[in-house]
Amino acid sequence: MTRRSGLRDLPPPSYNKDMKSIPLRRNTVVLVAVLFILAIFAWAGWANWEYRRQAAEKLLANTAQGELVAVDGSGTLQFHSSLMGKPAPAFTLNDLGGRKVSLAAFRGKAVMINFWATWCGPCKVETPWLVELRQKYAAQGFEVLGVDTEGDDLEPSDKGGWAKAEANAGKFVTQMKVPYPVLLNGDSISRDFGGLDDLPASFFVDRSGKVVAASVGLTSESDIEGNIKKALAE
Amino acid sequence: MVFLGLAGLAAAGARSQVISNSPRNSSFGKAVKTEAVQYLFPEQVSISAGKPSPVTLHFRVAQGLHINSHTPSDDFLIPTEFSIPDGMGVRLGAATYPPGTIISLAFDPTTKLSVYTGEFVIHARIVAEPGNHLVKASLHYQACDQNQCMPPRTIDVPIDVIGK
Repeated sequence: MTRRSGLRDLPPPSYNKDMKSIPLRRNTVVLVAVLFILAIFAWAGWANWEYRRQAAEKLLANTAQGELVAVDGSGTLQFHSSLMGKPAPAFTLNDLGGRKVSLAAFRGKAVMINFWATWCGPCKVETPWLVELRQKYAAQGFEVLGVDTEGDDLEPSDKGGWAKAEANAGKFVTQMKVPYPVLLNGDSISRDFGGLDDLPASFFVDRSGKVVAASVGLTSESDIEGNIKKALAE
Repeated sequence: MVFLGLAGLAAAGARSQVISNSPRNSSFGKAVKTEAVQYLFPEQVSISAGKPSPVTLHFRVAQGLHINSHTPSDDFLIPTEFSIPDGMGVRLGAATYPPGTIISLAFDPTTKLSVYTGEFVIHARIVAEPGNHLVKASLHYQACDQNQCMPPRTIDVPIDVIGK
């Protein structure tokens, strides 16, 4: 009997090594590609972190160089300026009468450089204290220089704005009966003193011109007096 | 090749995010100062062209700070003021400010201040020319906390105004 030919009679498929390795190669390529993409994401995340770190450091470098630190073990936080122990930055500004006043002219005296503004409530509170302390210590060679810092965002070309700022400063000085020199345009020297993001800000300079204390914000009359004594003692 | 192309796009996208990240919100090292006042919303308004239309603008004062209201208690104090510069295709008809909260501070309990704290809104009536206008309005203010004051500031108030 003749057996009918069927599927069983088909010649067996020839064995092909290449066909078995194709899926393996493809899987390897996919795996490598996925790992590569993940590596790129990891790198991008690191680059992002590094960029933000550097940008933050740059921003800090351009802003007020000060920090609150505890001094003398008292636990009281005081403002520690980067100018401490260094010569106070030199400046020459006009007073309310238009006369030029230089810090250098006060060498040999202890000076409190007090940055203030008419819109600053805490500045208004401490001004009578400064008037009183100046009177108390003037005979020992102490002076206050009030530096009006009105127009942080006034454009240099805004003549009307600056005129109004000057008029306000004059009115304030008259109302508060300020006897010490009041200088205008403190904004022009604020960067030299660390940026002055907040007012009032004061720097206490000894007779040799060195900064021996600094404060930012309203403290107390006794704290201010303590700093005056430091400036007189050096 | 497709995978490599997608990977390159992903890296470029991640890198561009770096540019837009503000270092002011960085958590590195010491605290970095942020704006005392932030504009919240709306980012876009659609109004009838040529007619005064109301827009409610939402702002937030940073915690621990206060800004003078539009009508502060002293002539020396800087009032909060909203404005739209000329030439933007949109003009400010009128702005209605909220009444300030009356406070006094520990260092000067006898002086009363009219201030805004937390979130506040300004109701503005604006007139827009037909078309799409990317307006860079402004808010001018001056902020203090309990012991010190920051200089007057002007922040941008970006609004996309569509005049239909």
